[in-house]
Amino acid sequence: MVPKIGFTCSYTPVPLIEAAGFSPYRIFPDTDSADQAGHLLHDNLCPHVKKVLDRCLDNDLDDISGMIFINSCDTMRRLSDAWHDTRPSDRITLIELPSSTSNSSIDYLAEEYERMARNLFEWNGQAFSLDCIHENIELWNQLAVLVSEIEARMSKAFYPGLAASFQKVINAAAAQSIETALNMAKEILSVEQTPQKGKAKVMVFGNLLFDPKVFDLLEDWNIHVAVNDFCTGSRFITGIDTGLNDNFFKALASSYLHNTPCARTMDTSTPGNIAANIVEKAKSADVKGVIGFTLKFCDPYLARVPMIREALANESIPFLMLEGDCTMGAMGQQQTRIEAFSEILGV
Amino acid sequence: MMYEYFDNLEKGIKGRIDKEPQKIHARKKYVLEIARLGKRLYNQDENIAWCGVMAPFDLLNAMGVTSCFVEFVGAMLASTNTADHFLKQAEDEGYATDSCAYHRAVTGAVLENAMPEPNFIIGTSSPCTAGLAVMENFARAYKKDFFILNIPQNDFKEAISYLAGQIQEMTSFVAQHTGHPLSIEKIGKAIELTNKASLLLQNIYDLAKQKPSPVDNQFLKDFGTVMSLLLGTRQAVDICQAFKDELEHRINNPTPNMTNEKKRLLWIQNRIQYQFPINKMLDDLGAKIVVDELNDVTWEPLDPDNPFESIAKKTSSIPFCVDSTRRIDHIKQQIIDYKIDGVVHPCHWGCRQGTGIRGLVSKELRQMDIPVLNLEIDCVDSRNLAKGQIETRLEAFMEMMG
Ligand code: SF4
Ligand code: SF4
Repeated sequence: MVPKIGFTCSYTPVPLIEAAGFSPYRIFPDTDSADQAGHLLHDNLCPHVKKVLDRCLDNDLDDISGMIFINSCDTMRRLSDAWHDTRPSDRITLIELPSSTSNSSIDYLAEEYERMARNLFEWNGQAFSLDCIHENIELWNQLAVLVSEIEARMSKAFYPGLAASFQKVINAAAAQSIETALNMAKEILSVEQTPQKGKAKVMVFGNLLFDPKVFDLLEDWNIHVAVNDFCTGSRFITGIDTGLNDNFFKALASSYLHNTPCARTMDTSTPGNIAANIVEKAKSADVKGVIGFTLKFCDPYLARVPMIREALANESIPFLMLEGDCTMGAMGQQQTRIEAFSEILGV
Repeated sequence: MMYEYFDNLEKGIKGRIDKEPQKIHARKKYVLEIARLGKRLYNQDENIAWCGVMAPFDLLNAMGVTSCFVEFVGAMLASTNTADHFLKQAEDEGYATDSCAYHRAVTGAVLENAMPEPNFIIGTSSPCTAGLAVMENFARAYKKDFFILNIPQNDFKEAISYLAGQIQEMTSFVAQHTGHPLSIEKIGKAIELTNKASLLLQNIYDLAKQKPSPVDNQFLKDFGTVMSLLLGTRQAVDICQAFKDELEHRINNPTPNMTNEKKRLLWIQNRIQYQFPINKMLDDLGAKIVVDELNDVTWEPLDPDNPFESIAKKTSSIPFCVDSTRRIDHIKQQIIDYKIDGVVHPCHWGCRQGTGIRGLVSKELRQMDIPVLNLEIDCVDSRNLAKGQIETRLEAFMEMMG
């Protein structure tokens, strides 16, 4: 069996994990484990981190050969701290993630990604190989192209079940292998589907929404998910622009910093551009409304929701903001509001 | 409103100092300088920079920029009992009550046009994600140029050189806006003054370690954090000298208050900012906060021949810039150095950075047999304060310490 490397953030370059001979294992915050994380850290932290930590505390994890953490926000760095405390013998690398996209940030992140790659090769007792990295980046980029094609299909018309299938592809890339995801994507695209009518075309955005069943539920509630803008969704499959650079790590750093528009990263030349980006995506997909789904206690989003609301209102795009945890159970509580929203949007 | 407040504060304190010029007046001199900074921030003729907590204020001072971290304003609003209005304003605009109230209060002030317009904005990725996010919001609201200092959470060679490079870039960014580049002489002077102040700070903290400690519960409240705003200036050196003199004076002339020291406490991160008689409660119980976690000189003297790198090293040595293991090790060392009996950890609502390590701190200190009082409290927003409950918890904590 291929040994696994655990990770928790979309800024983790999966091709580096696979190049070192590991399989990626994104630890989703999906667990029935008892709530103990609040005790080890604090209760006022996002459910993403708390549930992942609950899994760790409860030993509810497959065998992992090491962990990659990304210092993407305060809560994530606390997760890395707590992991050290809970599983002190685990091999752990914490990658520093700059918040800005300046040239020096790209250079530094490139060094950090290289450190990550070298650690991974060493953990697996393999000789560091740029060729292996290149091959895996190529494979990843093929996946990115197919994922974009599925996204284009989703945004063009409503195909029942497509949003959930799309999510399954993303999850396979996160927790199985790039190749599995690639095959799944090819299969989806090879099937001719007949578009249907009668659903409200919507963009959904936020931090985490990873359970494919959630997307089926949304369809049951009359929603056509045309854009899935989550860090467990389209943002996870960041294409790597190797043409820009002969240094793979720089290419990775530049692509991840520029093309993974998570609320925690900022373009200082246009402060607050997350709001403009969401409006732009909503407009280009020609959706009738936008649903934001963010996790409680997530600072990067808490601070941005008012400006996103304002930007959508300026464009007269209806907006529904939901907050909660990232589980199917939590979705059930939102049914009435989502159905009411789809009714307002009409079809 | 804030200008008048700072103006009155300055006049009042100056009057009191002038009345008794022979006295040392350490705390008054400190508040006087804070009032002057506050006034300058609200003076339109100044070059104003709104900053994150970890900005290198010594360099900004050397470049003639009146700069301040925005949380300072949140704290000021709370201490003058005016935060509630601004908190409500921000909440009405959709800013969640789950966020840090330092930021929510300032955001309310921005929305109400009660903040002076900055010339530019410098965000810092440490201490907190939320702090950087609000700086971005302000840059957007004021349409001002925005610079980010990314502060890695380790002190690897690459991390220090990345941070040093950014600090240097920051000085160019500032010079573009002020028209005044940072000269070698100015850097040299700022470094000399920072080093002098740092040495005095170290003396002050060493004096505070004595048993009984010459400090009282208010004397060094949030001192390390706020003094960072004045580093690189003559005033910082004078204030530190006054604090040192006053502590020496107290040691040579002990009062019953000073010797009534049943229990010695360490306070983690920031204090409670609004009027709340916690110091009095502690006094009544015979407990003394002898050290705040952030009152420490964790850095080597700055090197005038290598200014940016040494400022980078200083920045990344501050406890809330490091991982929890190093941070807790620092707390443990303070516990030993100050002969601490118990630790107060105000788990400020909305602070993922500080509060987020509540459990880890408690767990580690339990192994040292040091009791920790985790106060679930909002240090800025007093609207839901359960005073009676805190009193009871303090009493129980004292009993626990024996
Ligand atoms: S959901 Fe938000 S707070 Fe939680 S890890 Fe992600 S960015 Fe950080
Ligand atoms: S209290 Fe915490 S969240 Fe608030 S400003 Fe300080 S470090 Fe940031």
